[in-house]
This record gives sequence, structure tokens and C-alpha cells, in this order.
Amino acid sequence: MNLKMKRRDFLKVMGWTGAGVAVAACDRPSYITHREGRNHVVSYVMPEEYAIPGTGVWYASTCGQCPATCGVHARVREGRVLKLEGNPDSPLNKGKLCAMGQAALQTHYNPDRITRPRKRQGAGFVDIGWDEAMRLLEERVGPNSGIDGSRFAWLTDSVNGHQAVLVDALMENIGSSSHYVYEAVNDAVWRAVCRDMLGEENPRLAIDKARAILTIGADFLGTRGAPVPNSTLYAEFRSAPRGVLLAAESKMSVTGANADLWVPVRPGAEGVFALGVANVLATSHGRDISSLPNDVQRQIRANDVKHVSDVTGASEEHIRRIAALLHERAPSLVLAGASAEGQEHGYDNVAAAMTLNLILGNVGRTIESTAGFPFEMLRPRSGSGRGLADLAQALREKRHDVLFIKGANPVFTAPAGMGFRELLANVPFKVAFSMFEDETTQLADLVLPLYSHLEDWGTHVPVAQPERMFIAVQQPVMAPLYPETRGFGDLMIDMLRMRGDADYAGYEDYYAYLHHAFVALPASLKGGAPNDTAFWNGVLQKGQLELGTAAPARLAASAVSFEVSAPAADDRPVLLPTASPTLWDGRHANVPWLQELPDAISKAVWDSWAEMHPSTARRLGGVETGDVLRISSDQGSLEVRAYVYKGMHPGAIAIPVGQGHESYGRYAQGRGVNPYAILADVRDRKTGELAHSATRVDVSLVRKASNGHHLGTGMDRLVVMGGSETQVGRKLVVTVTADRFERTEGRRA
Amino acid sequence: MSVTGLLFSGRSSCMRAGAAISRKAHRTAAVFSLLVLSALAILAMSGAAQAQQGVPNAVPPEGSYSGSHVPQPIEFPHDIHVEDNGINCMYCHTYARRSKVAGIPPVSKCMGCHMVIATDKERVQKLTEYWENREPPPWKKVHDVPDFVHFTHEKHLKRFVFDNEELPVERVQEVCAFCHGDVKSMTVAEKVKPLTMGFCQRCHQANDGPFDCWKCHK
Repeated sequence: MNLKMKRRDFLKVMGWTGAGVAVAACDRPSYITHREGRNHVVSYVMPEEYAIPGTGVWYASTCGQCPATCGVHARVREGRVLKLEGNPDSPLNKGKLCAMGQAALQTHYNPDRITRPRKRQGAGFVDIGWDEAMRLLEERVGPNSGIDGSRFAWLTDSVNGHQAVLVDALMENIGSSSHYVYEAVNDAVWRAVCRDMLGEENPRLAIDKARAILTIGADFLGTRGAPVPNSTLYAEFRSAPRGVLLAAESKMSVTGANADLWVPVRPGAEGVFALGVANVLATSHGRDISSLPNDVQRQIRANDVKHVSDVTGASEEHIRRIAALLHERAPSLVLAGASAEGQEHGYDNVAAAMTLNLILGNVGRTIESTAGFPFEMLRPRSGSGRGLADLAQALREKRHDVLFIKGANPVFTAPAGMGFRELLANVPFKVAFSMFEDETTQLADLVLPLYSHLEDWGTHVPVAQPERMFIAVQQPVMAPLYPETRGFGDLMIDMLRMRGDADYAGYEDYYAYLHHAFVALPASLKGGAPNDTAFWNGVLQKGQLELGTAAPARLAASAVSFEVSAPAADDRPVLLPTASPTLWDGRHANVPWLQELPDAISKAVWDSWAEMHPSTARRLGGVETGDVLRISSDQGSLEVRAYVYKGMHPGAIAIPVGQGHESYGRYAQGRGVNPYAILADVRDRKTGELAHSATRVDVSLVRKASNGHHLGTGMDRLVVMGGSETQVGRKLVVTVTADRFERTEGRRA
Repeated sequence: MSVTGLLFSGRSSCMRAGAAISRKAHRTAAVFSLLVLSALAILAMSGAAQAQQGVPNAVPPEGSYSGSHVPQPIEFPHDIHVEDNGINCMYCHTYARRSKVAGIPPVSKCMGCHMVIATDKERVQKLTEYWENREPPPWKKVHDVPDFVHFTHEKHLKRFVFDNEELPVERVQEVCAFCHGDVKSMTVAEKVKPLTMGFCQRCHQANDGPFDCWKCHK
């Protein structure tokens, strides 16, 4: 039989068969439609007045995923929170919310949450009830425990608002003054420079008012300060007239990737780079540096462009162009962070960058005072590396018998050289207030499981108040998932009552205390609400209490002396542990949504990698993306896959932080590597901050990627979602020069 | 117990004055009660409405299914409520016209009548026990579609009842019957329609319903 079928007929038949199969399949019940009577459908006993099953109700609250305190709206349906968005009323994030904020749902619903109090038994834990947990606390820190106040200490991450007031109250009651506030990702060196040169630790960065921004390593769109509020200001900065963003850093950050001009700078030479720009400003553009201290003037004169280019690796032309743009486009803004801060001379690097702001006259124009916030006791206690360094010293000297730990996970994030895990054994009684069994919680003697941020009450105050000052309010958007968990504020009130503190005896719980704190405010702050109930409901509906605009205050700018030094000559690359706006310092490694979100630069997911410049890769014998490297410091070594990328200085190798957890639940554990685990314990000379970018490493090739595939899927590969990094000579993205664009748009003849 | 089905009662006791932002909230319950009462009154007056055949401006979906009997914590008699006493479906399933789900009536609604009516019946006594314990009866779900199907009662009632001038609201049970069968003659509900995609599609085709994938799968 001669069966002839044209291609067109074949497609027709295939099409109809496919459609037939599809239609027939539509009548096949899914297993769910078969499940009559398998699930329950539970009604209200009394209907909520405004709750309609199947229809969402939105509550305003405050995000707790990073210290920025953005306002959120939470959609709740049938008693379950389903979606988070930014609160448009918030003067901080103005309705926007980042990936970490969106993913708070998965922190809240995480299957690895601790659901009951636990106490240590041998190497492990046993579940106990709250009665026993409170009894154990009373034995150690109760009024009859005989505890010497100085033997008691708190280790927390950044705390603020009324939670901080209660932490302080408990310390005062016990008679302790040891509150160590630690954040692995911090801007403490910048804050110290601001304090010394501007008179305020947390001035407001008016990104929107600048016409040019030079960032020397400060990833203000990613992990520096408050990324979402910064991004909303950045959008204004970029809208007409478009501001120019210049970046000089050792590893391209999210901010650097957005820059108009990105210049790689040798890690540790950021201060020299700033001096080079200052030199051009003084010599070529006539900027006055005579009011600066003599030694600063001397350093600026000594660092001419040629010398700076040699030391930093930035080209002379780039340094001149950056200086010219900053000179022409006043007001500008110069920021410094990350590898600029994380050096033995980190303070000097940042001070050199801040001196640029003084020379350019930015102070008071793009760097503004935040003075005038009326509630000093609610101000954030911002975390620093110094906080941990001080605690380590205290532990070494065995100064504490009881340590309360909340929010910080130093066993994971402390540099290996500190030996923090071993030091922690010097405290006989460690209490972890925690939602998850992270590395630090695992070493505790008593674990008190906390509510998630979506279940708890609280107030929050941003580090730098926006022009419209406010207090952000956090309210539970649903009932607690686990009946045996507790709110942090509730626990503080309980402890204060257990200690017999008369000031707190009248409050049944944290809610009662907060409610009282708000309704007791003077009428001038209540916005004309007719009564306390209306005022309180208004605060909860908006998720914040607005405090109006502060009277403008001036920053008292004064230059300080510093001594910038060039990095020591060393062929070994510097290890840069880089924080990301997804896993942050590792606290979000247990959130699958954030694990699967490709890194902004490498596009890699669910893994660690070592970013290096192609020339570094060549030097190591032709390393390609996906090859396995061994990276060793004098503290240890780790194996990680290479990611070869041009957005690196050849003298640096960058490993993202956040992976490499030994515990912390099913999604975080045993995945990738932890660069903190090979960091030396280096400190900034002036502030004592942990210098995270000052460890030299040896890099060697362990093995090539299997199957010759450098990218793609599979267990033995680096999974990179981005495919190719280049257009390989093809004009996939059409580009025109700015000049031609202006002409075609008719803005120029 | 399914997570999504779990409605906790007494949110206010744990959350205090957690005031909601009233997007879509605060639909006036009073208006609805009035409407239902008037519907009941009209129903009582005109028994003739029952005699009409077929829902005007609608082609009922075809297909049947033989569901198994699902034992419920209380053998709720739909027949006594609807057939004998002429109570409108939406009097109890009050959310059907305003939400994607029809909603199981809150226990307080049952007790509104059963404080005084049929208090000698075993089923009502069992209900009263739940009420006194402040617990909802653990009803079993009979009609369900997968999570990837976005079915909304509200839109269907709007199309077939409220935008359908020829169908008085007291005949809503005939529209409910499209997908739920003749519930008024059942005690506890049984599944008698397949609720498969083909079943939905044919009805959408016959009644000019939306046909884009994303209308239901979103």
C-alpha cells in the first residue's frame, strides 16, 4: 500500500488527535474531584463582621525580614495570610516590597519552625512545656536566683521600638549593662565616620536629590541600609533629569550593575581611590581643600592620578571622568561600604570617601540631619561586628553566666578566626529566643520558640527617619500557627513580672503594654481622633503612627584626620564574602523562594560559587565556570564551583554568604559553602569592627566540571539560570550613544 | 483537617482590636438580610413560581455523576429546610453571591432559629452541643475543585440570577442545581455532577461563558 501523507496532512491529523485527547482528558475527574468527604470545611461559630470566606481582608503591619522596617499590607483569607505587599502609606517604602519581604510567608509557614520550648539534655534537646521553661528561667534569673547583674548579658540583632525598651528594662532590672548588638551585614564603620565627621550616626541619604552618585562599594540597592526605600529614592534620582550613577568596587554589586560607569578597584585600595578623585577635584577643578586637616591635604596632594591608578587598578581616564562628573553635577553624593569598610584601615577608607562629600559640598544637601525624632528610647540599637567582638572578649574572660540570644546567629556568621563556637561554651546557661534551630540555637541550653513576625505585636523605628517621621506598627495578621510558641514582647513582659518589676505588673501581655503606650501619647500626636479607640484603630489600620515633619536641623560637618594606606603587596587574591538581597547574612537560606531566586549577578540558584575575573581564571590554568576550586586561608579551606565573570577586580575572589548551613532546616542544610568559616579574625584598627574583606586566600583547581558542561542542570553542576553572559558579537540588544539618542529624540539639533 | 479549610473561630480574642483595612469589607449585611427576608416573603406568596420549567436565558450543563454518600457530623436535612419550609439557598449559604465560595453557615445562624425551633430533635440537640462548646461541627467537604481551578460562585450567580431579569431570586435553587443537583430533595448533600473541566467547558460554550484558559486557571 502506498501510504502518502503530506507534511500538511500529517500536521492536521496530529492537531485533531491532540485536540481529541485534550477534550477527552477534560472529562476525566482529577483525584481531587474524587475526594468527596476527605477534607473538612469548617465554618465560623460566630461570623466576623467584615470577613467573607473566599475574599481577602488586608491588614497593615511591618516587615521583619531585615532591619529596614518597611510597611506591609497582608492579605488574609479564612484566617490564613496569603500575600504580602508594600504599604503605600509608609513614608519609607511607599508601597514597595522586596523579594525578602514577599517571602516572609515562607518564613512564617516554614515546616522547620520550632513549635515547643526545649531544654538541653546531653547532646540533644527534649521538648518541655512553658511551665518548666519559665521555672528554668526563674531559677537562673529570677528574683531569688541571686544572679549578679553583671553576669547577665543579651546578644541580639538590631532591635528597636518597644521591644528595645523592654530589653533595656529587663537589663536594668537585673542590673546588667551588657547588651551586645550584632549584625553580620552592617554599616557600622560608615556610622562611626558619620558620627565623627557629621555629628550624627545615621544621617539621611537624599539619593533622590543628588545629580550624581559615586558609590565606593556601598550596595545601597542591594544590602546596604534599607534597600527598598533606597530603591524608591533611586527611581526618582534616575527620572528626569537623569542622575548619573558611578560605581567603584572590587566586585560588581546590584548597585554596580546599574551604574553608568563601573570601575573595578583593588580591594583595600578604596581609600586611595577616593583620595585620587579628591586630588583631581583640587588640581583640575579648583575645589578648595584648604579647610581640611593638614595631613588630609598632604595625602590628597600625594595621591596624584598616576599613582592612584597604579595602586587601585582604575584607569587614569576613569578617575578623571568620575571627578569631572562629580564636580559638574552638584549636588552629588559619595557612599562607601562593603570591601571599603571591611579592612584593617576600613575607617580611613570611609573617612576618605566622606571627605569627598565635604569637598563637594554635599553635606546638608544630599546628606541630611535626622535629628528631631521625639522618642529617643525607641531609636534602633543597630548591630555591628564590634558587638560580637566585644562579646567574644567577654566570653574569653568568662564574664557571663547567663546569655540571652535573639535574632543573631554568630556561630554561623562569626569569622572562623574568632572561634566563637568554642567561646560560647564558656557561658553555663544560654537561652535562645528563636523560630528556627540555627547553628547558635543548637548550642543553647534552653530554646524558647517565638511567634513569626506575622503573628506578633511590635513597633519599629527606621535607622534613618524619612522626612515624614513615623513609628511603624507590627500587628498579628493571623492567629499563631503553633499554640506552644510565644511572642517576644509577651515573654519580656512575663520576665519583668517574674522579676517583680512594679512598672510592668499591670500589663497582662505585650499587647496591653503597647496599647497603653499608644493611648497614653499626648493628644497632639493623635491627629484629632475623637477617642482612644478610634486613635488606636486608626494606627492599626495604617500600620503606623505619623509624627509629622521635624524642624530642619543642620549637620555640623567637620573633617577628621585619617591615614589611608595602600593594600600590602600580595599575589594571593582577597576573599570577599558578599551579602545578597535574597539570603542576606544567611537568615533566609531556609526560604525556598529566595533560594530559587537567581542571584542578580551570577544568576546561580540553590548553591554557592566563587566569582573571579577571567584573568584570574586563566592564571589558575584555565578555570571555567562550573569547575571545582579549593579556596584556602590560614583558617581552613572549602570547595566551591567557579563562576568566571568580568565584573570583578582580578585581585579579588567573591563567595556569597548565606549558604553552608550545618543546621537551620531542610532547605538550608548541607547546601553550598560558608565563606565566614575561613575568614581570619581581622579588626578595623580605629573602630574595632570585624574586617570581613581582609583575608587572603590560595585558590587551586580541584577538578573540571563533569561532562564538559559548565552550565545547566544536574546534581554535579552549578545551576545558572542566565545562560550566556555575552551577546557573542550578535546585536541582540540594540544600543545607541547618548548623544545620538538625544538627537533622535529631538532634544538636540 | 485541610489547612485552607480551617477557619479559626474567635480571631478577635487572640488578636484584639486588629482593625482591618476595609477593602471589599463591610458589605452591608443589613441590606442582604432585608433582601433575603423579602425573598422569603415573595416565595411564600407565589407558589406558582415553582411550577415554571427551566431557568430562562440559560442552558443547564449536561452530565451526571454518582457520588458516594458522605457521612456528616450532623445529618443535616436540606429537604426539610428547602422543600418543606421554602428557605432560600442563599439564606444560609450567604457568601455565595459575594465571594468565590458559598460558605458553610456559621453556627450562630443555625442557632438563630434552633434556639426555639425543633429543640426536641436529636440533630438539633447535637448542634446545640457544638454551639455551647463554641465549636463548629467538622463538616466534610463534598464539592471541591483542584487548587489550580479558580471557580467563583459570585460571578455565576451574577450571570444566571442577578443579571437575569427573567429569573426571580427565589428560584435561585434551580441555578444552584446546575452544579449541585437537586439538593432540596437530599438530606446531606451528595455529589451528582461531575465538576470536571469538560463539564465546565460545555456549559461555558452553551451559555457564552468566557473561554480563555486564564479565566479559571490563574
